[in-house]
Amino acid sequence: MRPDDRELDDEIRGHLALSVKERIERGDDPEAARLAALREFGYVPAIRDSMRRVWYSRWFDAVAALGQDMRVGLRSLLRARGLAATVVVTLALGIGANAAIFSVVRGVLLRPLVNHDEDRLIYIRQSAPGIGAENTTFSVPEINDLKSRVTTISSFGDFSTVDFTLIGLGGEPRMVKAGVVGGSFFHVMGLRPVLGRLLNAHDDGPKAAGAAVLTYRFWTTSLNSDPSVIGKTIRLGPRTAMVVGVLEPSVPYPADTEIIANVVTSPHHLGATMVTSRTHRMTELFGRLAPGVSLAAARAELTAVHAAIMREHPEAYSANGDVQLRVKKLRDQIAAPARTILLVLLAAAAVVFVIACSNVANLILARSVRREGELAVRAALGAGPGALRRTLLAESLVLCSAGAVLGVLLARPFVGAVARYAARFSVRALEVTVDPSVLWVGAGLAMAAAVLLAYIPRLPSPHAPAGLGLTSGSLRITPGTNRRLRVFATIQIAFSFVLLAGAGMLLATLVALQTASTGYDMRQVLAFDIPTSATGAGFGDATLKFYQEATRRITQLPGVDGVAVGSFVPWRDAGLFGPAVSFAVEGYKAVNGEEDPRARFRIVAPRFFDVLGIPMLAGRDFTDEDRRGSEPVVIVSQSVAQRLFPNGQALNRKMWWTDPYFGNPPLRRRIVGIVRDADDEHVVRGPALTIYHPVRQIGVGGRLFVRSASGDPYALVPTVRRVIREISADQPVERAATLEDVRAQVLSPDRLNAFVFSGFAGIALLIAVVGVAGVLAFSVSARTREFGVRLAVGSSPRHLLTGVLSEGVLIAAIGIAAGAAGGYVLARVAARFFATMQMPGMLPVLGAAVVLIGAAALASLMPAARASRVDVLQALRSE
Amino acid sequence: MAKTPDDRRLEILQGTLDMLILRTLQWGAQHGHGIGQAIRAQSDDLLKVETGSLYPALHRLEKRGWLTSEWGVSEANQRAKYYRLTAAGKAQLSRERDRWSQLVNAIGRIMNPAPAGPARKD
Repeated sequence: MRPDDRELDDEIRGHLALSVKERIERGDDPEAARLAALREFGYVPAIRDSMRRVWYSRWFDAVAALGQDMRVGLRSLLRARGLAATVVVTLALGIGANAAIFSVVRGVLLRPLVNHDEDRLIYIRQSAPGIGAENTTFSVPEINDLKSRVTTISSFGDFSTVDFTLIGLGGEPRMVKAGVVGGSFFHVMGLRPVLGRLLNAHDDGPKAAGAAVLTYRFWTTSLNSDPSVIGKTIRLGPRTAMVVGVLEPSVPYPADTEIIANVVTSPHHLGATMVTSRTHRMTELFGRLAPGVSLAAARAELTAVHAAIMREHPEAYSANGDVQLRVKKLRDQIAAPARTILLVLLAAAAVVFVIACSNVANLILARSVRREGELAVRAALGAGPGALRRTLLAESLVLCSAGAVLGVLLARPFVGAVARYAARFSVRALEVTVDPSVLWVGAGLAMAAAVLLAYIPRLPSPHAPAGLGLTSGSLRITPGTNRRLRVFATIQIAFSFVLLAGAGMLLATLVALQTASTGYDMRQVLAFDIPTSATGAGFGDATLKFYQEATRRITQLPGVDGVAVGSFVPWRDAGLFGPAVSFAVEGYKAVNGEEDPRARFRIVAPRFFDVLGIPMLAGRDFTDEDRRGSEPVVIVSQSVAQRLFPNGQALNRKMWWTDPYFGNPPLRRRIVGIVRDADDEHVVRGPALTIYHPVRQIGVGGRLFVRSASGDPYALVPTVRRVIREISADQPVERAATLEDVRAQVLSPDRLNAFVFSGFAGIALLIAVVGVAGVLAFSVSARTREFGVRLAVGSSPRHLLTGVLSEGVLIAAIGIAAGAAGGYVLARVAARFFATMQMPGMLPVLGAAVVLIGAAALASLMPAARASRVDVLQALRSE
Repeated sequence: MAKTPDDRRLEILQGTLDMLILRTLQWGAQHGHGIGQAIRAQSDDLLKVETGSLYPALHRLEKRGWLTSEWGVSEANQRAKYYRLTAAGKAQLSRERDRWSQLVNAIGRIMNPAPAGPARKD
């Protein structure tokens, strides 16, 4: 239907032929007839254009012209493959990194949860920052008080975590992490089953039948999505429960459990301590906002009610604890730990993008200088500034689209890596997948870059004498262009410096953490979890007998240097026992107004200190004679002795726990030994007030430490496990790891931080080096003639070499200074928003500077060498 | 055909070109040159259509579906595009014709009032 240009031409030609024929028939001379016909017709291109315009809009033509320009641009870029490849790869790195980080940020921070009406779902947390307790959770009496008084919350859901030994779903008995919940939990959370049903009000209370729901992850990964599990009866420790359903995939919070069971499955939840003790806190609390109630209103009411409860029960709250309630949307609570790190990553990615763009700008600028001749010719032939800009835009569009395509392809593996990384901070990252937003971000960034790049080169001025540019094919570099090239190179160096210094800071922190002395023997000691409460054996003689037998038989194994039961694997169990407990000692008077001192409560068997490499400083170790019925004794850490007894008379004094949990009146225990401090809560050692109790006087441990004599400690794991199973067939033996590996595991988020940042810094460094090398190479090739002249008049090649080298180093130095100044300001600003913001130490800053200067010198080496090897005759003849 | 002096020639009234083209094509298919000549001849050389107006108008009418076109061979033995009236074009022509006679009437009444009209001027 739409006529093309050829048809329009044919139509016009047909008209002219008729017109000429008519004139000739009237007797005109053929030549005169043709001229007259043309004159009568009018300006052919304009008329053809007005016919065209009926069918094609101006926009259509503009896009078509741009497409034409892009085809031309593609061809001309194919002739400059090296440059095109550099630009595309640089852009792809910048775009890929940004797109990946952005989709993770979107997935973790912005996407709604699957929970029904998740906007009304809130998480309530009690904390006591005054004694360092981030999350004290709630006790049952506290929850009952809140439930009965608060009206802005339509219903509450409670969740506590216990470990069960699970028997009955095939395979060995295994430890599972289980959530124990009341009947309202799933209703409050707004979750649905994928199979069977979830727990409801009928499953609540001590009289209900045991019922358990499997989490989706457990069902799919451990049970192969077997639908026949519904209705099966399983053993959970001493109780049984029926599997009633499978939960839909959802963010596991507060704990990633395998099953979720009703309270009747956990004897502990039915016990008097759980139900009546206001300080027995182990339950997490969720709520659903009542209709029409805002989060702020609910927060206000909850805080007021909580304050009233605290006033009514002052004995249950630490006076120095600054106990408070925090109310957040569940979504925000889940994303919170990842927020800072993700925003920092986003900033780092943006910096990489800026570096990439300025590098590409450099390359394009250099190229456009080489093309000045071509542009001048086109301008002389009548191309207006618009058309020239369009040519440049077309070319940068080709480059940026290629960069975007490659970047989006790169983003796929990036997203996987970043998501695994972010999963350390927020479980939501596990669900992040590559989504179309990556494409939009990639395309948007590419567009921004393309427009930016098209406006960087200067167009030949229509007023300037074009003769020069037209006649010589040689290169002329204006001071303005040169300055702009240098500015871009300096920007790259400055931003790379910020990233390098940041990465250096993280690396320095990591190295400090990994090499810090811990006070433990790290290499030879294996730690095991041997949870006894899980088997239902509970506290008491049976457990102690099991410990004694296991210790005896493992000690006799070849290659074993020592065995001891404990209660706490350093770092891995951090936070397990909650905040430190208040205690008092005979002969120590607190200064007026000072609260009782607090210490960590630990349980160990004889030889524990020997096995873990903690030296005894005074007194004696526990023995098998420190048992129930004999005198209660404790061993204290050096800090306890020094803080409370500066004169060193701690031995044989009596101490007692003043926390009401330990009974009233509390048992007095004699201090029989002092050991060196070992901080089992923090990898970076701090003073650790710890009080150790003999396992035979408390009755429970749950951790086993085995020191190997030599060789690979892990070689002992199968034998240890077999020996324990021989003693007690249902006993789980889990998470065997040397203390060194435990520390590595605890530090893995730090390691990943350092790793990811080093990656970004590496990319930035690479791009900056390419940038500096490019600028200098360009400047050298533009000054070939100058170098030739200088060599001809007697300059030494060496002199030229150092000249170019120092030019490169100067760019780097200015960049570093700018980066240091900018980075300092940035860090100060960031410190206002992030409490944990740290200034990098001297070492990483200097290190980054040295690396950059070195890289810049290296990058200038090749152009410098070329400058010094200029062939004099050739250089002089070149113009 | 005698040439008409330029001072005798009339401007084609705005908005009437489409009608003139449609009317011309009522006698059968014709190419652009023929249409232009027909208008000129029919108007006794008083109206002359500029090609710069004629051709865009033809394409506009074709785009609106009032004309169709096909390629043929002209009297000059050259490829030429012949336009033909469609059914929609015929309907449009009759609409325009009505509007035109109303317009002529209305203007005529103003310019040549009836004898019993308003007071005469001196």
